[in-house]
Parts: sequence; structure tokens; C-alpha cells
Amino acid sequence: MVRRRSATLAWNAIGLAFALVMVFPVYWMLATAFKPANEVQTFTPQLVPLHPTLDNFRSVWHAPNFLVDLENSLIITLTSVAIGVVVGFLGALAIARFRFYGRRAIILVILMVQMIPFTALLIPLYLTLNRVQLTNTLPGVILTYLILVLPYTVWMLRGFIVNVPRELDEAAMVDGCTRLQTFYKVILPLTAPGLVAAAIYGFIQTWNEFIIINTLNGASKWNLMAFLAANQTLRGTTWGPLMAGATLTSLPVVIFFLIIQRNVALGLTAGAVKG
Amino acid sequence: MDVLESPPEARPAVVTGGPRRRRRGSGRLTPYLLSLPTLVVLAGLLAFPLVRMTMLSFQRLTLRDLFTGAAPQWAGFANYTTVLSDGFFWTVVLRTIVVAAICVAVSVLAGLLIALLMHRVSGWVRLAMMVAMMLVWALPQLVATQVFTWLVDTDWGVLNWMLDKLPGVDFSNHSWFVDPVQGWGVIIALVVWGAVPFLAISLYAGLSQVPKELVEAATVDGAGAWQTLRRIKLPILSPLIVVVTTLSVIWDMGLFTQVYIARASKPELDYYSLAVYAYQEAFARSNYSGGSAIAILTVLLVLGVMAFYVRQMFRIGEAD
Repeated sequence: MVRRRSATLAWNAIGLAFALVMVFPVYWMLATAFKPANEVQTFTPQLVPLHPTLDNFRSVWHAPNFLVDLENSLIITLTSVAIGVVVGFLGALAIARFRFYGRRAIILVILMVQMIPFTALLIPLYLTLNRVQLTNTLPGVILTYLILVLPYTVWMLRGFIVNVPRELDEAAMVDGCTRLQTFYKVILPLTAPGLVAAAIYGFIQTWNEFIIINTLNGASKWNLMAFLAANQTLRGTTWGPLMAGATLTSLPVVIFFLIIQRNVALGLTAGAVKG
Repeated sequence: MDVLESPPEARPAVVTGGPRRRRRGSGRLTPYLLSLPTLVVLAGLLAFPLVRMTMLSFQRLTLRDLFTGAAPQWAGFANYTTVLSDGFFWTVVLRTIVVAAICVAVSVLAGLLIALLMHRVSGWVRLAMMVAMMLVWALPQLVATQVFTWLVDTDWGVLNWMLDKLPGVDFSNHSWFVDPVQGWGVIIALVVWGAVPFLAISLYAGLSQVPKELVEAATVDGAGAWQTLRRIKLPILSPLIVVVTTLSVIWDMGLFTQVYIARASKPELDYYSLAVYAYQEAFARSNYSGGSAIAILTVLLVLGVMAFYVRQMFRIGEAD
């Protein structure tokens, strides 16, 4: 047993070392964000911010475009997620509750679209939006972001709706509900957690996106990610404020992600383990 | 083992029976009405752009056409012959494949080892590992890349300082991106670091499904740790390993953000992956047709892998 215990001790040490290595970059972002400028650029890096300050956060908050881009981020994500979840719920209902001609094709396309690298689709999208003068506008980006939100939403909600027993629908219809009423009186409340999860996932996807908006729009119509990208140069980046901006921008995403992470993992590999 | 594949009886009778048509007429239209908005979005944002891009790759769209709105001239296979006969394209193809192969191999293997490790450590260590991985997983790709770029910064980067501490090594003011091999090393490390949480946590969950009785029976029969892993755990885990590996291949072949941001939105030719190449060709050089041709070739390259993943997932969508 002694041997066994010392083995566990060794495994624990490796596990902890791994955790430390993984978390270090995240820690370094935070540490840099809270350091005063003269402690960011030192020949001997300080592992702990000795004089923690909010200067970097203040400076990024007052940076030109930060607040505008924050507002844009919020408008874009909230709108495209709202549209995406409503449209996606209806689509998921159709796929989960009906057998109809074209159902398989829809499932196939929904799975495919998540695979296609969207930088590839960006070329035709840019040209089309340019033609109808939707480049350099927020609606153009909101529209484009539906492709990020919708497929996963349909797929995720499908899983939730399938788990609502059909008997419930039938019981409600025996009691005099119309088909439509069963949708919003039975299925909708029971899939509420799924709706929340899908909305959060859509939020993360759209909040993190930068290359579409960077390509379609000019600097005044960017989101926070494009703001961060624009504030990095090959030499002479001011890392303190940038890391503060990165921290602020990541915060909502990290919090939301931790709430729904179980669903994300299951959505990507569902069925591979249990049948 | 129903852990392995969905047993035939899991397919609900509904598939064969079909819907009981309750309300004729209006009821028949319901699924179409419900899926109409989804179809409109998919048609407008997927089907149409794909067709447009395919057409574009056979045309020669000039900047002039872009501004005047004139129909571009047809170019036949000219874009493709230009791209395919360009040695640089093949360099980028090879580079993308090699980088993706390294990323997939290292991250899947690391994910598996970490998953196994998580079953060996004490509860509190497992929690620490989980928390660390969750934070990494949650971090936006762009932010992660910027943090890594800062870690390896030439003048004030903490990595140079740490390596410099090693006896006999001089890493002060070492520039990691001057030599593309080192630069890609940093990018691969970043990709692996970002991918391990998903892989390790999924595989850990998969390993937890391995029936304890099986492992115990094997141990009683005298199987060592290596044998139980090879003969029992890995076979049961293999469908999941296949799925996560497929996903990793798709993601890593489409590598874009990490490269583009690590080079501060101005990637040098040595840092082109296929996705970066297509993007730069279209938007930095306004060669939309050439970019489209490269994008289509990229999609064709991973199509086989994609089809495989979609088929696996499709079965699930069909089953219930």
C-alpha cells in the first residue's frame, strides 16, 4: 500500500504541474493587466504585480473606439442571437417532431455548415453585401452572424425537443390544445434550459468573431474582438492596456462558457459514447 | 457492448411507422412552415455564397467590376491552373497538412494521457486540472493568441526570460518569429494548448463509461495496467477517439485565427496556411477569383474527413 500511495503522490505532482502550465498564460494575462506600465516592461519579469493598479483598464476604457465597439458588440450579439434562437427553435421543432420530405437534407446541411471554414464563405458574402450596400453597417454583420448561431442552435435544440416525450404533446392535444398550443405550452417551457444554452453558445460564437466584421466593416463599426486585433502590431504593442482589454473582453465569454460547458462538450461528440 | 454502437432497438418505431396524420391539409404544411425561416437563412448565407464562390472561381473578377457592378468575365479553369501550377500553393498545402498533422497527433495524444492521468490523481488535483482546463477552453481564440504572442515577446516576453535562466542558454531578445520553424512551433504549442481541454475532458468522460467490472475482471485475470488500457479501455473508447480526432483534423486544417493574430494581422508568406492564403489573396490583394479557387480547393481537401464526421453525426439525427 505504501507503494500505491507514493504512486498517487507522483501522479498528483504531475497533475498539478500540468494544471499550472495550462493556467499560466491566463494568469499572465491577468497579472500584466494589473501591472503599472514600468513593471510590464522589465528585464526581470515580476511574477506577481507588486503594485496592482487599474491604470491599464482605465486607459483601454478611454481608448478611442473602445466604448463604441463595446456597444456594437452588444447590439450585434444580442440581435443575432435573438433572431437565431427564434428561427432555430422553429427549425428544431420541425426536425424533431415531424417526418417530412427534405428533413434529411436539412440535417445534412446543418451538420455540414459547421465544418466549412467561414473564411472561405467570406469572399462571396463580402461581394454580395457590398452590392446591396450592407458592408460597413451593423445589420450586414448581424445577418452574416446568423450562420454562426443558427446551425448549432437547431442541432442543440433538436436534442432537447427529442427528449420531451411525445405522450405529453398527445395528452395536451387530447385535452384540446391545438398543435401550435402544444408548441408553446408544452414543448417551449420544457426546452427552456436548451434555449438558454443555445443562446449562450450563440453569444460566445458571435462575441468572439473578429475576421468577418473586420473584413465587412470599417473601424467605427467594429466589435471588441476587432478592436483588440487592431491594437496589436508586430513591434511596439502596449501590452498592459491590451491585456486589460483582453481581460475585459473575455470576461463575459468565460462566465457564460462555464455555465454551459457540459452542453458544448455533449453537442460536439453526442452519441459517440452512448448510443 | 451497447457502449460501442447504438443498438438497433434504439431506433424508435416512429421512423418506420411514419407520423400518424392527424389533421390532414393544414397539418401537412406545418413542418415546412416551421423550417422555412431556417431554410431561408441557410439558402441565403450558405447555398447562395457557395454557388457564388464556385462561379467566382471560374471567373476573373477585377476591382473595376466590383465598383461598377459589371458582370465579370468567364475565365474557365484559368484560376485553377494558375493556382495549381504555382509552387507556392503546394508549399502552403504541404505546410498546412504537416502543421495540422502535428497539431492533431500531439493534442489527441496529450488529451488521452491527461484523461488517463485524471483517473489516477486525487479528487482535489482533478478539480484543479478541470478548473485550469475550463479557463483555457473558455478563453476566446483571439485573446489566447495575443497572450501567447505576449509570452514570447522579443524584448519583454516571460518565455525568453525563463529560458535564459537555463545554464548556458542565451535567449535574451530572442525573436521567435524570425525563423518560421520556431514561429510555427509557437503556433502549434498554442493550438495544442487550446485543444487539450476539449479533448481531455471528452475522453475523461468517455473513460468513466468503461464498466468497472470489466477492468476488475481483467486485473483478477492478471492483466497489467498497460494491458487493460490496450485491450479494454482503448477499444471501448475508440468510437469517441475517432470523432474527436476527426473534429481536430477539420479544425486544424482550417487554421486561421492563431496564425493571423500571432502575426498581428499581417502574416508573412512563410506564415500562410491555406485559410490564410485564401483570405489574403482575396482581401489583401483583391484577387477574389484566385482566393475563391484556393478556398474551394481547401474545402475539397478536407471534404473526405468532413463527410466522415457528418455521417457519424447524421446517424444520431436520424435515430431519434
